[in-house]
Amino acid sequence: MRIRFDRIETELLTAMFTDLAELVEADAFDQADPVRARLFPAGYRDDDAASQDFRELTEASLRVERAERARECAAELGRRGDVVLEGDTAQRWIQSINDLRLALGTRLEVTEDDQIGETTPGAPLAQEWAVYHWLTGLQDSLVRRLMG
Amino acid sequence: MAGTLTPQRETIPQEEADVLSDPDRPWITIVWNDPINLMSYVTHVFMTVFGYPKSKAEKLMLDVHHRGKAVVSSGTRERMELDVTTLHGYGLWATVAQQS
Repeated sequence: MRIRFDRIETELLTAMFTDLAELVEADAFDQADPVRARLFPAGYRDDDAASQDFRELTEASLRVERAERARECAAELGRRGDVVLEGDTAQRWIQSINDLRLALGTRLEVTEDDQIGETTPGAPLAQEWAVYHWLTGLQDSLVRRLMG
Repeated sequence: MAGTLTPQRETIPQEEADVLSDPDRPWITIVWNDPINLMSYVTHVFMTVFGYPKSKAEKLMLDVHHRGKAVVSSGTRERMELDVTTLHGYGLWATVAQQS
């Protein structure tokens, strides 16, 4: 599957992939940041000790994995915004686009009941909602094409 | 393991189970509903991670969506922690638990 992003989309995706990679790699979140909690959730629901052990065992490598794949996607995008999504590349894009959705969706406080948000031009976060919806459509297309 | 065609996990001898837990209660992986992950994506993850056929993956996804959660695998505690780690890598919210 080949995708050609236009210049604005290419710049936007590159910025988002790079920002995510830097944030995740440096663990530059506030400790209470809900985006951090969403990207690195607890492994046990009612057992803080087991969750802590699990986190110490797994979080560091997950951070590296997330950062590396976001950077690889940005590199594949290059400057021309032309990518061929097959095999491992497709899988990586699906995961990284989803990471972008998780981060942005958490910031926007997406709920089951409010999936639309306020997209009226000029409303606060209207641009962010528009980007979130665009990423959602992109994600859905990628997944459906991959699943056949 | 991604792409495996084997839907069942092998059971392990009781003596390898965590000694602090009740050996009669197997360990499970639970996936919780969340408002961000797409239904198509969750189905795809279940097919990719566990090798489930599309029909089973879809049913589990719908259980997560409608009931708030679903048990997606069972086995040793160590295996469940591995499954949860893999699912977290895909951005799903999953936890390890003991079957009640």
